[in-house]
Amino acid sequence: MLIWRPNVVNYIVAFFIILTLNFFLPRLMPGDPLQAIYGDDALIAMTPELKLELIQRFALDKPLGEQFVAYLRALFRGDLGYSYYYHAPVVSVVLGYLPWTLLLSGLALVLSTLTGFILGVEAGFRRGQGLDKLLLTTLMLVNGFPDFFVGILFLLLFSVVWGLFPLGGSLTPYASLKGFDLVLDILHHLVLPLLTLVVVRCVNIFLLTRSSMVTTLGAGFILTARAKGCKDIRVRYHHAGRHSLLPVVTAAGLHLTHLITGTLFVEVVFSYPGLGTLLYNALMVRDYPVIQGVLLILTAAVLIINLMLDLLYLKLDPRINYAR
Amino acid sequence: MHVDYWQEIREDRLGRIGLYLILLLALLAALAPFLAPYPPEARVGAAFSPPSSRHWLGTNDVGQDIWSGLLYGARTSLVVGCGAGLLAGTISVLVGTSSALVGGFYDSLCMRVVDALLVIPPVLLAILVGAYFKPHLLTLILLLAAFLWPGGARIIRAEALSLKEKKSVAAARTFGAGSLYIMARHIVPDLGPVWLAVMIQDARRAIFMEAGLSFLGVCDPTLHSWGKMMQQALEFTYLEVWKWWLLPPGLALSLTVAALSFLSFALERILNPRLRGEREDAGH
Repeated sequence: MLIWRPNVVNYIVAFFIILTLNFFLPRLMPGDPLQAIYGDDALIAMTPELKLELIQRFALDKPLGEQFVAYLRALFRGDLGYSYYYHAPVVSVVLGYLPWTLLLSGLALVLSTLTGFILGVEAGFRRGQGLDKLLLTTLMLVNGFPDFFVGILFLLLFSVVWGLFPLGGSLTPYASLKGFDLVLDILHHLVLPLLTLVVVRCVNIFLLTRSSMVTTLGAGFILTARAKGCKDIRVRYHHAGRHSLLPVVTAAGLHLTHLITGTLFVEVVFSYPGLGTLLYNALMVRDYPVIQGVLLILTAAVLIINLMLDLLYLKLDPRINYAR
Repeated sequence: MHVDYWQEIREDRLGRIGLYLILLLALLAALAPFLAPYPPEARVGAAFSPPSSRHWLGTNDVGQDIWSGLLYGARTSLVVGCGAGLLAGTISVLVGTSSALVGGFYDSLCMRVVDALLVIPPVLLAILVGAYFKPHLLTLILLLAAFLWPGGARIIRAEALSLKEKKSVAAARTFGAGSLYIMARHIVPDLGPVWLAVMIQDARRAIFMEAGLSFLGVCDPTLHSWGKMMQQALEFTYLEVWKWWLLPPGLALSLTVAALSFLSFALERILNPRLRGEREDAGH
């Protein structure tokens, strides 16, 4: 039975913890639970009829147990609540911002993995030489910088000082560009946030690949490949590089988790209209339904991706099964 | 495992740099009331004045002295880092050793909770809970420690499991020592180096998260924090103020985090002697 494997249970428990927190936090806060559930904006729009409707909808006049069931029911219908700041259901607000986050984090995932891997292979191949030392020290240094500060540095350097890229946003407003110009405009706005994420997030992949490369290069099959007369580049990527991918694949879950949280902060720096900016604005006006909705969706995404990766490893490497 | 930390860290170049940086920061933070020319929240000059002899790093949009804010920010970062690191490390040791020693159902229950918490990114949890509590110093430490301990607990448990098999523990048992006595006198003292490594790692993440939460405006707005300084300064990138308002807190934060990373690299090498050869090769 696949479903009862311990790691599947972990994810179910984790998701339950999140749901419970989401449910209990607003209801245990002192004061009117409606305010804690809906944020300050709701109170301005509140009429007695609306209040009555909301109390009924959340079963706030019933015991906590029934409220929890009502909450779960609403979630399974895909109802994340209603934002009085945007005057729209949370789901539709979130869906409006989601594509930009997907674009940014998807591209960042591909590019950071690729960059980290190539740099790692090259550095590991030249261990102890100039290039390796340079890469190792620079990337270790970058590793200490928070994502949003690297973003701020790029913003200041490329946009404020040199004026090469726009200061923020994802499109030039009111330009009504079409076709190819629109794509160029989107890319132009995308460069800096993407660069930030790639630089910050490639470090771990680089370190993993590099150390794995160093071990792999001492293995017998590398000597064989060389003895066969394989070209340098073929040994580097086809033999050693491919073998060094294993730790990168194993760490993919952690990499993705860091990437998603990093995207939130980088979006805020560049006012990129994705979930990070939505969350930031919601935090500023304490729009609790949106805060909860964004965090719930992000956590669910992280959990689902990690669960799928876990199950994938079982297929890829049967040894993991015995180790557990 | 008995290690002379002081000696080992001083012999390691990176570790030495990290240690001196942390000591310097701690000194600046401790002496902040004497070093800072003004209270950080007082409006003491014209808005946006450039650096001068009166205001070393100029003033911000409401005329507060930035150098003073920076010093008090160091206090927050270090207090949050130390507090959350200590607390999370202690919870890790309590949960890790007790589940290693007791075993059975208790062990699997603890590890189930740890595993479940490990798959949720702590930053997201901290934002969610922080949004309701608007945490100040103490609540922030409690909040961060509550989400940072599970990683350490796993490491400590693994270490305690191997320490439990030592002959000295078996000898103590034959003399009639109980679980609590063994935990306090045999296991916990030997956990020292691992505990230290876990705490430094937790402190580093706590400082990172505090800055991040303040940057997003989750924390109590009266908390003096580097993250909050950066959040406020980011709105004024069109003026020249970023040179003395936005960059200093960012660099200070990066330096603090880097110093702690250096320390944990040095400790990792002490804990795992097999790394010594490889690292020296790479870093000579």
